[in-house]
Amino acid sequence: MIPRRGLVRVRLAAANLVLLGALGACVGAAREQVDSLSELGGGETVVVGRIELVPPLRAGEQKIRGGNSSQFENKMFLLTDEHYRILTKEPVVADYAGRIEAILGQTFFVRSSNKPFFIRGGMLYLDLGGRELNRAYFPGGLKVSINPGDKAVYIGTVQYHRNEFFEITKNLIVDDYDRANAEFKKKFGTKYSLRKALLTPAK
Amino acid sequence: MKHRIWLVFGLITLGLLAGCASSGPERDINDPTNSLVFGYIDMDDAPTGVTSASIVQVAPPSDTPYWGLGVNKGLFYNSYLPPGSYQLSKFSGSGFFAGQHEYSFPRQGNQTALRIVKPGIYFLGSFKYKKVKTGIFEQDKFAIEKIDKPTEADLLKRILDGSSEIQSSAWSGKIRARLAQLK
Repeated sequence: MIPRRGLVRVRLAAANLVLLGALGACVGAAREQVDSLSELGGGETVVVGRIELVPPLRAGEQKIRGGNSSQFENKMFLLTDEHYRILTKEPVVADYAGRIEAILGQTFFVRSSNKPFFIRGGMLYLDLGGRELNRAYFPGGLKVSINPGDKAVYIGTVQYHRNEFFEITKNLIVDDYDRANAEFKKKFGTKYSLRKALLTPAK
Repeated sequence: MKHRIWLVFGLITLGLLAGCASSGPERDINDPTNSLVFGYIDMDDAPTGVTSASIVQVAPPSDTPYWGLGVNKGLFYNSYLPPGSYQLSKFSGSGFFAGQHEYSFPRQGNQTALRIVKPGIYFLGSFKYKKVKTGIFEQDKFAIEKIDKPTEADLLKRILDGSSEIQSSAWSGKIRARLAQLK
């Protein structure tokens, strides 16, 4: 919960700017979206997956104000790490390095090294801009299993079921490989196959 | 012209007073679908007291989701709420040295979340403000901690004794009935 006043407002603005700057790819960039497999270097993989909110955000439930609102609207920031670490407190700027920026309900195709990594949790802005800053957090503790030599892996659809208070009532890993594979082939052709490697609990 | 100016001031004042009681979308205080929602916050450790407060309706969706709460020495309440899901949204207050403060509640993990299915009397609880230590570049934060007193009965008596509008409404009997249950 956040109290605000004079100097506090300045500090809040500074904190927001630091975070927004970081998310604007100045520091700790997000994993890049991949448009062509030829962009991948040796030892790199494209990770394919999707995040869904159930029920989805309804109009007005997320309030993003400001010029770069599209950078945050309907988007979940998935915090990742090559080492298994539990997210025990509010993430700091450094925690957002290597994040996956997943548009809710859309398949993402992001560049990754071909080492396994972990999804520590997700963050969604509920209110952002002006004097408002409200975030919702989503559980992680999931392992992305990548094998050396993988060119593309499908990790599944993470479904976060929530209520009107943004309490997470259930989270599921759904195998929607056929749809993802069809999108993969349409986007990248048939030269490489998409290996199914659904997310698993980290421990 | 002079009278018109006073009329404008008068209307603004009336508006503000109505806002202090429990504002929001207009509803009749005797509407049988109303619920009385109330609670208490001890702000002794906060920079200011609370002079205004709001609760937000998170379901069903509404174009006017914010409802004002009547505030009096830590007691806050609204006697007009239709069925739906609510949680405290914001407190504000000011002090001579402290200036104007706003205390925003989170939309996720809000301890005051309340789902009203059946009209009635709902006690959110009594809470105490606690400051949470943060770094220099972090936002100031606070937490609220549940406390035992004042009790639901203490607060219902204050609502009943402190508002002639409540006393002359259907709430009077309902509050008395609830007080009898709590004895």
